[in-house]
Amino acid sequence: MKISIGDVALPGDYCEEICEVAEKSKVIIGPGLRKEADRVYITKPGVLKKRSPCTYWVDSYQKRYVPSRGENIIGVVVQKAGDIFRVDVGGSITAALSYLSFEGATKKNRPEVQVGDVVYAKMLVASKDMEPELVCVDSHGKKGRLGVLTDGFVFKCSLNLIRKILNPSCPLLESLKNEWPFEVAAGMNGRIWIKANSMRETIAVGNAILGAEYLNDEEIKTMCNNIAAILAGHVS
Amino acid sequence: MAANKKPQLPKSVLDMKFMKKTKERIEKELENTQDIEGLYSNIITSEMRHASGNYISESSFIYCEDLIEGRLSFKGMNPEIERLMESENKKYNSDEGSEMQKDVSDDILCKKMDSLKKRKWSASPGKCEIKRKKNK
Repeated sequence: MKISIGDVALPGDYCEEICEVAEKSKVIIGPGLRKEADRVYITKPGVLKKRSPCTYWVDSYQKRYVPSRGENIIGVVVQKAGDIFRVDVGGSITAALSYLSFEGATKKNRPEVQVGDVVYAKMLVASKDMEPELVCVDSHGKKGRLGVLTDGFVFKCSLNLIRKILNPSCPLLESLKNEWPFEVAAGMNGRIWIKANSMRETIAVGNAILGAEYLNDEEIKTMCNNIAAILAGHVS
Repeated sequence: MAANKKPQLPKSVLDMKFMKKTKERIEKELENTQDIEGLYSNIITSEMRHASGNYISESSFIYCEDLIEGRLSFKGMNPEIERLMESENKKYNSDEGSEMQKDVSDDILCKKMDSLKKRKWSASPGKCEIKRKKNK
């Protein structure tokens, strides 16, 4: 069926608007879209979205992570195999993380990573037919925000929620950031790691994030205010 | 397709004596490309050649939705991360904000550069003369 931007799309539908734009300029077709013959077909059920100037994608509900290049993820080290660590990222297979791809690591100076550790890493290679590969450094060899996550609390959620809270227009982190000290790492694979000073605060951040999934911006703001009030002891 | 053809040396230049090697190389290249095109012409269709066209496929949402970095720290929980966030924010703001404030306005710069240029032009012949004198 022919559909347009903003419509609910099902796999097999096609969009002619994208083709028309593509005749004049380059277009970026994101997840859920595929160019086949002379049409752009939808491959995931969801809502067809557009961002100016010409980026199109399907916003679909998904819990299974499919690795793709450049994304930051939270993984759990499940095995040490020679010079790589195998990391569970929630994908179809484990990802490989070389022990040399940590800041300051050399052949003699191995990083201290144990089985069971949680790492925040970047997808370097993610192709259909190969094991994905992770790194914990940027192209300058600096660790930046990546590396082993110590302490804290990890929980899973849908991939949509991660995208929702990381959207620059989302008020969730904006309204929580002045309430109490906490640290958060959100992996595009649907895992969130939180660290705060006390258990109460950690749970409060976790509940705020999980509660935000089906709320709109206004509701998120009031929810954050409520949580902050409860935590501060104004309301019991 | 004609527009993005490689620039070629004119024939008259290639006929010169010292261009012999280059001429041979170009002829060889031409032969090679023609061979390849001939070899696979029955497999590669024109459709395949123009398949990608104007479409760039991107498998990740982070570029589509312009998401922020996922590692954040607030109120001094992890000073290292907060320093990174701050420096990134500064960069972002300076990009968005107006241009850098100027100490010297464009007009003054223009006049100054003009006068500098004139001085250079007038100075350079003088230097040459001095050198010549020294050579003598």
